[in-house]
Amino acid sequence: MTPTTDERLASVIRSLTEVVLPHLPADASLAQEQVQLAIGHLQILRLQFDSVLGFEAEELADTEALASELAAAIDGGRDTSAAVAALKAAIGAVNADVRGSLTGLNRAIERVVQAVSADGAEGAKARLSEIILRREGNRVEKDRRWFLPYGFDTMDAAA
Amino acid sequence: MQTDLIERPVVRNDMEAVHRHIIDRRSANRTLPPYRAALTEEIVEILSSFFAKERPGAAVSGVRRVGGGASKEQFFFTLSEGGAEEKFLLRMDPRSAITETDREREFVLIGAMRGRVPVPEPVWIDNDAKHFPQSAAILRVVSGVTKPSDAGVKVSGLGTWLGPDLREKIKDQFLDHLVEIHRYDYRANPLPGFEIPEADAKQAARWAYNYWRELWEVDEGEPRPIMSLATQWLADNMPDTAELVMLHGDYRTGNYLFDEASGEITALLDWELARIGDYHEDLGWVLMEIFGSFDGEGVFRASDLFEREEFITEYERRSGRTVNRETLHYYDVMSSWKCNVIVAANGLAAARSQHNHQDVLLTFLGAAAPMFANDLVRLLSKGAGE
Repeated sequence: MTPTTDERLASVIRSLTEVVLPHLPADASLAQEQVQLAIGHLQILRLQFDSVLGFEAEELADTEALASELAAAIDGGRDTSAAVAALKAAIGAVNADVRGSLTGLNRAIERVVQAVSADGAEGAKARLSEIILRREGNRVEKDRRWFLPYGFDTMDAAA
Repeated sequence: MQTDLIERPVVRNDMEAVHRHIIDRRSANRTLPPYRAALTEEIVEILSSFFAKERPGAAVSGVRRVGGGASKEQFFFTLSEGGAEEKFLLRMDPRSAITETDREREFVLIGAMRGRVPVPEPVWIDNDAKHFPQSAAILRVVSGVTKPSDAGVKVSGLGTWLGPDLREKIKDQFLDHLVEIHRYDYRANPLPGFEIPEADAKQAARWAYNYWRELWEVDEGEPRPIMSLATQWLADNMPDTAELVMLHGDYRTGNYLFDEASGEITALLDWELARIGDYHEDLGWVLMEIFGSFDGEGVFRASDLFEREEFITEYERRSGRTVNRETLHYYDVMSSWKCNVIVAANGLAAARSQHNHQDVLLTFLGAAAPMFANDLVRLLSKGAGE
């Protein structure tokens, strides 16, 4: 029998909350703030731990879908053609390294965005914007939900 | 998997000399060893030796760290001499921060603003870190709070709720002070280090864009499609400057002190992002959702003070300027884009390099990035007129 990740995180949170924090001097404001933030971080990590791999895999899948739609819809002059070719190569290079694959796709998309501004075909810029805004609108919604426990987001109040 | 599909070119773009210096310094500092938070006893020693030269006979006491804030190391202390006591604030840079700025520029501007708007008195500066371990400034302490005492634990200004009573007491001062800052005559009273972007009509927007774009590159911001789109949109749509004014750069609730009983604003703080630029840039920043609040009916108030249209029309009435909606839209986009650079690149780079005393706060703040990404989707989807 070994301790689970949840049990280990829970024990650290309890130690920081019930042993360390109450024993910090009243004037140790930075230390108090940092311990509270550390506790908050760990509580959120504990909440999300089992879903992290799924979240990152979905992020990669969403980005790959965006990249594929761009690759099919965008054309133009020499810069744009080269950028689209590089994007297709990045899509082909997606592998089990989720974060590496994601970075590769995002950089290739960045290059397409820059190239279309230089020599995209007629209508390419509008198509590119429409695709990115539609797909990123959906993606950002998931990111905001994911980071909602941090308490910054006003999405519920605004709704 | 190969992740460097494109080489990001190193381009030295047009920007203010001080901003070029900051970027070069930030790049050069990347290889320095980790930074450790200063201990109170170390600050006591540094202050004591500093005042042994600056004010022999004065004694330093009551040194204590100031809580809150996300960028500087700050300490209150008392200076005693001949039975009199004066209270000061030491404001010192860590090695790298979520917003890396220039202490002397801030010091000079605060001095120039004295008598125009409420500011703390700037008293000593050590911009080149000749005495202090990092660039530092000392200001006289002003009484007041940045948020109501019942507001709970939040980073100052992020979603701060002032409530109806304080709102009514503060809102006119807030706007009048902004108008007064924008009225500063920087030609008649030039400030060292502040350059005027007047080579052409787009230079003000270009300087801002180039600076933040290079910060993003230097700090290796992870490209996201919406950031790439916004970055290109900002490059392609730079507006002509309506009128160049002195900008505060970070004007919002959380960056002023007020007396909780009377609601009087006692000091405007955090001038480090100030520059000469288009007044729409400050307006776009004030109107950002993250610095405001939504009430129970879903009504948004900028800095929990003004509804959007109310703020715009009141600014026009009090300043005599016209707010161009397309230019404001540009700076709305730029504000969210800048915030994304700050939390998703600058803050995380400072934490990664261990060059800050609050790494855990910087990674915590990184969680706000999706809010700014959402702003960019919303703003770029709807256009200026909607």
